[in-house]
Amino acid sequence: MKLRSFAAFAGALAITSAAYAHHSFSAEFDGTKPVRLVGKITQVQWTNPHSYFYVDVVDAKGAVTNWGCEGAGPGALSRRGWKKGDLKIGDTIVVDGYRAKDGSHLVDARRVTLPDGRSVYGGTPGDGGPGDDGTIQGAPQNSGPKK
Amino acid sequence: MPTLQHVCQVIYDSHIGTAIRESDYAFSIIESVHVLAITLLVGTIAVLDLRMLGLILRGISVTRISKTVFPFTWTGFAIMFVSGCLLFWAEAAKNYSNPAFRVKLVLLALVGLNPLIFHTTIYRRVHEWEVLQYSPWRARAAALASLLLWSGVIVAGRAIAYF
Repeated sequence: MKLRSFAAFAGALAITSAAYAHHSFSAEFDGTKPVRLVGKITQVQWTNPHSYFYVDVVDAKGAVTNWGCEGAGPGALSRRGWKKGDLKIGDTIVVDGYRAKDGSHLVDARRVTLPDGRSVYGGTPGDGGPGDDGTIQGAPQNSGPKK
Repeated sequence: MPTLQHVCQVIYDSHIGTAIRESDYAFSIIESVHVLAITLLVGTIAVLDLRMLGLILRGISVTRISKTVFPFTWTGFAIMFVSGCLLFWAEAAKNYSNPAFRVKLVLLALVGLNPLIFHTTIYRRVHEWEVLQYSPWRARAAALASLLLWSGVIVAGRAIAYF
């Protein structure tokens, strides 16, 4: 009996661990390091399981740094009304996100403000990151939980 | 650029690869199918492995169990292989340099070699030991290797997302 329950547990573990096609927020990002990036889009990867886009950010001294911004996959972004063509190379956008734990120039893009003023939630649903439960900044404006 | 990397890039840039990678739902559906197929494959293999280790179903002969699970194991394998190829199609260029993916490929090669050795050696004389509660040590070694290697494949596969 013990073995059967072990096998069932192992099976369940295999399913749950592999069912998450993407990694959680905390696997890569630090919720205590918020950052705002304002920069020009240089590259867009509208890809599963995470989307990526890159922006050139110019600092006070004029030095340019290319930052990578990670967001949810195409399915989740599409459901929020975000389309692949919304991010255009050369457009200046504002990205509010959190820095990667390893200190690299990578952020988890929780909120992206497009040139037309539209503000979209970029976070991965259910990843456990800030705003994931729809309670704080960065949450989707029209799809948060009803209180 | 190494030839293999170039090939991966061509696969990655292909129409179908891009369509899967940029899809709203196809990618996650294929991933789910891949996982379900793995549970079917590894789950049925584990039954046979645990039987040979003498941990379950000791009253039933090894050959009867192997014949029973055979169609399920191979159905699982076929679905796992096809869905895995589709996922690779979508991510080839990223997979190429992914250490977890490389480990997974090595483990897959070993896990394929294991039954090959098993079936050409100790399993040839299975009628001599099929009803024994505990199979001979060579069969038990193969069973243990199978359980460990498949576990490794699953862990490495999961780890691809973290590199």
